[in-house]
This record gives sequence, C-alpha cells and structure tokens, in this order.
Amino acid sequence: MTPNSLSASSRSSRRTFLANSGLAALVVAGGAPLLSACGGSGSKNEGTTTGKKLKDLLPAYAASSLASPDIPAKNGSAAGFTKALPASALKVSVPQKLGRGGEFTVMAPIWGNVPKQGNPYWTAMDKAAGVRVKWQNQQGDTYGQKLGAVLASSGVPDAVVVPGWELTGKIPSAIANKFADLGPYLSGDKVKEYPNLAAIPTGAWQRSIFGGKLRGLPMPSATTPNIAPFYRTDLFEKEGLEAPTSAQEFYDLCKQLNAPKSKVWACGDMSWAAWNIFGVLPEKPYYWKLVDGKLVNRYETDEYLEALEWSRKLYSAGFVHPDAKAETGSIGDLCAAGKVWMYCQDLSDWYGKAAVQRVDNKKFRMEAFDYFAADGGAPTLYARPPADIWTFISEKADEKTVHDILALANYTAAPYGSKEQRLRMYGVEGVHHTFEDGVLTKNGKGNNEVFSTYEYLASPAPFVAYPDLPDVTEGMVEWQQRQGAHTKKPLFHGMMIIEPTRYTELNAEFEDLEKDIVRGRKKVADMQQAAADWKSGGGDKLRDWYKKLLDETGATGDSAS
Amino acid sequence: MAQSTTHARDTASRTPPPATPVDAAPLTKKAATRVPLRHRLRRDRALLLMVLPALLLLLVFNYVPLIGNVVAFQDYDPYIADNAFQAMTQSPWIGVEHFRHMVEDRLFWQAVRNTLAIFAIQLTLFFPLPIALALFINSFVRPRVRAVAQAILYLPHFFSWVLVITVFQQMFGGAGLVAQVLRDHGHEGFDLMTDPGLFKFLVTFEMVWKDAGWGVIVFLAALAAVSPDLYEASAMDGANRWRRMWHIQLPALRPVVALLLVLQVGNALTVGFEQILLQRTAVGPTASEVLDTYVWNTGLDNGNFGYGAAIGIVKGVFGLLMVLGANKAAHLMGEQGVYKR
Repeated sequence: MTPNSLSASSRSSRRTFLANSGLAALVVAGGAPLLSACGGSGSKNEGTTTGKKLKDLLPAYAASSLASPDIPAKNGSAAGFTKALPASALKVSVPQKLGRGGEFTVMAPIWGNVPKQGNPYWTAMDKAAGVRVKWQNQQGDTYGQKLGAVLASSGVPDAVVVPGWELTGKIPSAIANKFADLGPYLSGDKVKEYPNLAAIPTGAWQRSIFGGKLRGLPMPSATTPNIAPFYRTDLFEKEGLEAPTSAQEFYDLCKQLNAPKSKVWACGDMSWAAWNIFGVLPEKPYYWKLVDGKLVNRYETDEYLEALEWSRKLYSAGFVHPDAKAETGSIGDLCAAGKVWMYCQDLSDWYGKAAVQRVDNKKFRMEAFDYFAADGGAPTLYARPPADIWTFISEKADEKTVHDILALANYTAAPYGSKEQRLRMYGVEGVHHTFEDGVLTKNGKGNNEVFSTYEYLASPAPFVAYPDLPDVTEGMVEWQQRQGAHTKKPLFHGMMIIEPTRYTELNAEFEDLEKDIVRGRKKVADMQQAAADWKSGGGDKLRDWYKKLLDETGATGDSAS
Repeated sequence: MAQSTTHARDTASRTPPPATPVDAAPLTKKAATRVPLRHRLRRDRALLLMVLPALLLLLVFNYVPLIGNVVAFQDYDPYIADNAFQAMTQSPWIGVEHFRHMVEDRLFWQAVRNTLAIFAIQLTLFFPLPIALALFINSFVRPRVRAVAQAILYLPHFFSWVLVITVFQQMFGGAGLVAQVLRDHGHEGFDLMTDPGLFKFLVTFEMVWKDAGWGVIVFLAALAAVSPDLYEASAMDGANRWRRMWHIQLPALRPVVALLLVLQVGNALTVGFEQILLQRTAVGPTASEVLDTYVWNTGLDNGNFGYGAAIGIVKGVFGLLMVLGANKAAHLMGEQGVYKR
C-alpha cells in the first residue's frame, strides 16, 4: 500500500463515515472513547475511538516524495524497490539532527543474538540521529512473558516495542495505563516537526490509538495476507508439476508427492493457509461478520470448521512432516532442503530462504502460490490491520526524552532511497556492507550487528526492497497485489479495539484446541462444543458489546454485505 | 553410616533410655541457655556474621515475595499502578473467588491429574535407577574405569532441555532414526514424540537419560562412607556379592533413600516445567498440561496473576502436607526423614 493510496482511501472512508454518522458522533459526546455497557476497573480504556475525537488525534499526513518505487503499491500491497543506488546518489531525508543527545532505554524483541553494546552499527545510528540508546533486547519468541512482567514493574523502560500478537490478556489496558499520550507532540499539524513520521499512512496511526489517546508509533504493514503458501518452484518445474488451484488439487498433489520412505513429506502444517483458502474470519478483534443484521463470530462459522477439517485430513493422511506435528525445527529449512514440498510461513521467508540458498545454488527458486477458494474459485481474503507493531513511550519520560525518542523515530522512518534508510538497513559502508557494480551486499559483521531493532521504532509506508534479489522483490510484491485483489475489509477494520478485561480469557483455549484438532487428538465436534461453551461463557455478552460498538461507530467493513 | 543407623535404632528401642552420650545432649543445651544472650552474641559473632548474607538472601528472595500471595484473594491488575505494591493496595478484594473457580475449573483438574500421573511414573521408574547405577559404579574396582563411567553418566545432565528434546526428536520422532530404520524394512513409521498416550513415559524416559547419572552422586557418597572392614568381615564369613549388597550396601543407603523420598514426595506437584512446556504442542495440553505450565499459561501468558497465585498457594500447601506425611511415615519406619521430632 503506498502512503498515498492508503491515506487517500482511509481518508475518504473516514469522511464517508463522518457524513453517515454525524448524528452518531453527537450521541457519543463529541466522539469520546466509547465505553462498554457496564464498566469494570479498566473501563476507561475499553472500546475504540471514532468521530471528531479520532480526527483530532490523528497526525496530519504529508507524503514523502524522496524516491519513486519500481513497482508502485496496489491493492494494499507494499511498494517494491528492485534497484540499489550508490551512496552518492542517496538523498538526505533528515537534513538536521533532531535529537538533542539525550540518553534513553528501549526494550525491543530480537530474533537472534543480541549485538554487543557500543557496536559500530548502534554507535553510527545513535550519532546520526543525535541520541544515545541503551538497548534492552529480549528474545522475540518469549517476549510476551517478559513484557507482562516489565510493564507490571516500576521500571518501565523509556520506550517499549509491543508487537500486535502480544496484545493479549491485560496488556492492552497496561498500554493505556503506562504509556504517554503522544497527541501533544504529534496530533494534527504538530507532526510536521517530524516529516518522516508525517509520511506514515493515516491508517497506521489510527491503529495506534489506545484508550482514547494516540500512544503508539506504528510500524505500517501491507494489508494483504502475511502468511504465504510456499513451494519450490524449481523442483516443481523439474517434475513437470503445477501449483494447486483448489483444496482437492492440493490434497491430490500431496498424495502424489508424499514419500516418507525417502524422508520427503508433502507439506508442513497448513492451517494458517487453510484460514485463507476457506475464507475464515481473522483473529480478535476483527473476528465478526454481519449475517442478517446479527454478529457472527469466527468460531461459529462453517468456514472455520471446514478449514480445520481440511487441515486435519492432511495430517491424518500422513502428508505433514513429523517435525511440523511436533512443532520443532524449521519447516522452511526442510523445504529449502527439499525434504518438504510445501509449507506456509510469513511472506518474508521468500527472501530469507532465497538469500541463504542462492549462495550455493543459483537456480534455487521458492515462491508462493496464489490462494484459491476451496472449490477452486476466487478466494475470500480479509485485509490485515495497517499496523501491527508499535513503540510506546513511558508515561514517566520527560519532555526532552520524548522529543529525543521521536527524533530517533523520525530517523528510522526515513524512506527507501535515503541515506538514513541505507544506514538503518545495511549499516556503515565498508564496515557492514559493500556496494559494487550496483550490488549491495551485507558482510558477516553486517549480518551479526545490523538487526531489525531500529525499524520497530517507526518505519515508513510498507515497502519491499531487496536489490540483491530483484526477482524476489518482484515476486513478493506481485503476489501481494494478486492476493490484494481478493481482499476485503473485515468489520472494524483499522480500528484499535480494547475488549473489557473480563472477556480476555474467553478465547484463550481456542488456539490449543485448533492444534489438537488438526493433529487428530480431538474431533472437529469438540470445537463445536467449545464454541457453544464460548457462547454461554460470555461470548453472547461479548457479541452484545460489539453490537453496541458497531451501532455507535457505524463501522461496516466490506464484510457487512 | 550403617553402624550409626543401627546404633540410633538400638537406642530408640530401649526404654527408658540409659545415660548414653546421645542423652547428654539436652543437658549441655540447658546449660547453654543459661549464658546471657549478650554473651552468646559476642561469643558467636563470627558465626553470626557468616550466616548473615545467607539470611538476607533468604529474607529478600523467599520471605518478602510471600507478601505477594495476597493477590490470590484479589482481582489483581498489576498495570493499574506504578509498582506491584501499589497495585496490590488498589486491586479489589474478591475473597476466595479464585479458589472457588479452581474447584470448577476443568483445566485445573486436568493439570492436577497429569501432574500426579507423571509424579507416580517418575517415582516408580526414575527414582530407583540412580540407586542401581550407584551400586553398579561402586562395583568397579579400578578407579580409572569408575571415573570414566561416572563422567559418561554425568554428561547429559549438563545439556539443556532444548537439546535433550532435539536429540530425542532426531532419534524417536516421526522423521527420526528409529522410524526411518523401520520404514527401510517395510514397516510403518513410528513417532514417539507426538503420541499423547505415551507422553508421560516419554518425559520420564528423557529425565532418566538426562539426570539418572547425576542422581548417582549422593548415593555414591553414601557408599563411600561404608567402612571397608565391613566388606572384609562379611567376606571372611563367606558372604557373596549379592549378600554383601543386601546386608551392607543397601542398609547404608537406607537413610539417604528415605530422605530423598520424603523430599521427592514433597515436590510431587513439581514434575518439570521447561521440559514439558517445550513439548506441549507436540502432544497437546490434554496429555501434557501440568500445574506449573498451567500457572504459566493462565497467570503469565493470559495475565491472570491472581488465579496463578491461588494455584501456587494450593500447590504449596499440598506440598507441605505431603512432606509432613512422608516424614511421619519415615519416622514410623525408623528413619530420620528430613527432620527429627
């Protein structure tokens, strides 16, 4: 999604919404945060923010025109850049250091080894942005547990990165309680002090409103599906095979390819792909659709059960690699090694696997096939939220620290084609990367030190830029655009909704149950029972809560029809 | 050690106890109490100073956190205030609501059942093994052979659980060595790692591989304390190896076995955390959820700290009762147990 297209669409939809619900806006008292029917201790943070209040909170959008992408964004996709410029041709995005040299702590997840404090990359970034960061990196896989404990302590770091998938339990209310309101620094035209933050699409900012205040610095993401079904294109071509185009074809293909005797299995766990193939609603809070004026939850839909049943069939037929069943090891690596034919994973694996494998095997090609509806028609895909990782600033941080953190965020949000972005993504030329004949290569030091830590502090509108593998960049963006054509917005799309804390545990069991069912340890009927328990255990009350929210916000999504 | 045990039992069975050196102890104790506290403090100040750091650590890490147990009676939200103590004063009281919920909580009872089942299996299959291994190692005469055997047995203890489980996956997983050999010979594959029915045995098996060798140490020490005279004397009397084990070595191990059993029973509800958490998805929570992982999932992952603390209290009380009960049983069998009456 380009910054331009996203903001244009979200602005227009907001305008239509305002026109449609002028009365509603009045009813909710000037768009104050909507409250739930009955308040608990955290009720001030529940619900969502709409109307005039929302409009007043959002930063004004000013697009960046630093570089035009080789593949412009379309259908909610990222923009693609296939070429790398030499350092001399890079533009300057932050002409003046905005940081005032303050020191602050940042807690962020990291997937890999934590680089040493004071390494050349961090030093260069700090110096360029005019700040001094003391990193508190935590392993990404167990970040949620650390986060819960840190937020409960009195020693909350100055800035904390929170990924959307950690917004479980009481974390959303913790965010509203422990982090600063950035409205006074960023709302409306104030954001212009930080031009790169002003270029962040409005949709991403809307998702950054917690408890009625603008608290998050977003990392915008494409709204197209993030989970892609991968297959080894090179091996498929060698065998004269074609990518499947229906659920049955996928099954038949698995049957043909599965060969445990030679230690080769047809696929990994496909349940994430199955949600898309069967048109299952997304996760909380976008897990509702309107059927005849009544809200129906993901767990109550037939699609959900069908997707489970299909994934289960793949397991029971023995097509799924045993390591996937045991959830150990990396199925992606097994696919890259030719031990698994198909698997699904985050789209970024497309580049990740190619970058590693092409060092030895130039012909290596792993691509994602297009989603299909179960019967082979066009799939029903749901748009993903336009931002799913944020950085929050501690309530206790003084004004100077807030300014310094925003200065760093403004630096990290510099777009592709700028000096700042090159430093952030590739480190220092000669130390972390080399540039020869138009090819940009990270060296060993670069791979060890230049990690994705700074980008969580705020990043520009979504883009894919792998100039070292232009075909991969093209493949990824074009895949997003093809899927984007079938993508529709779920109810409440783009809104940040905080459910009352009394409902937070309501769906805690479903993920385990899904895994049990597809692996054959429980029956699909057990899910129907769980859905019935969910309804009686509070699901129906939650439905009423959402219905009220729906009536008050007038949210429609594309799924209302 | 064997001698002292017999001695202790002999004195205990005689009534009234004659004036033995053991009996003299209370007298000296009484005499000691007559020394004024001030003098005793001065006299023992070096010892007291040495104890102080440990005492402080105990206080800070074991006793102060006990205050946190109040959250078991609250609808505790750690995020409403600046720190944990303020949050405790501001969270609403809900009495025994968490405990009432526990009684009805199907998942809690599932965790209790799994925990007790794993404990029972560990007690029968794991606990005797280090004793057997200690006797085995002790039978090596040449010190060099013994050292090598010990080193090999101790080594797996230093592997992390992640590594142990990976090794098991490579051996017994669906794509592992055993399964592959079976397939090569025309049989069906086999997957020990994802079989919920065998999971409790699997965790015990893993534990045996990892820690049975390490558990040998304390038994070896007990065996080393046996006077060689006893062996010589029994050999003179014509006792064979089997009889020597039965009449000398096993009685020597008896107090240690009793002590460890009591401690083990007290820890009945703690059957391993990391090991089980790592294999949770492979077999599903129905087979693998134990109390510790359940507390982790509800308390920390879902942020229901109050409920997690309530389960912790129940677990602690249960553990205490088990220790007291097991210790009583040990006394009845004539052993010392963890403490004397």
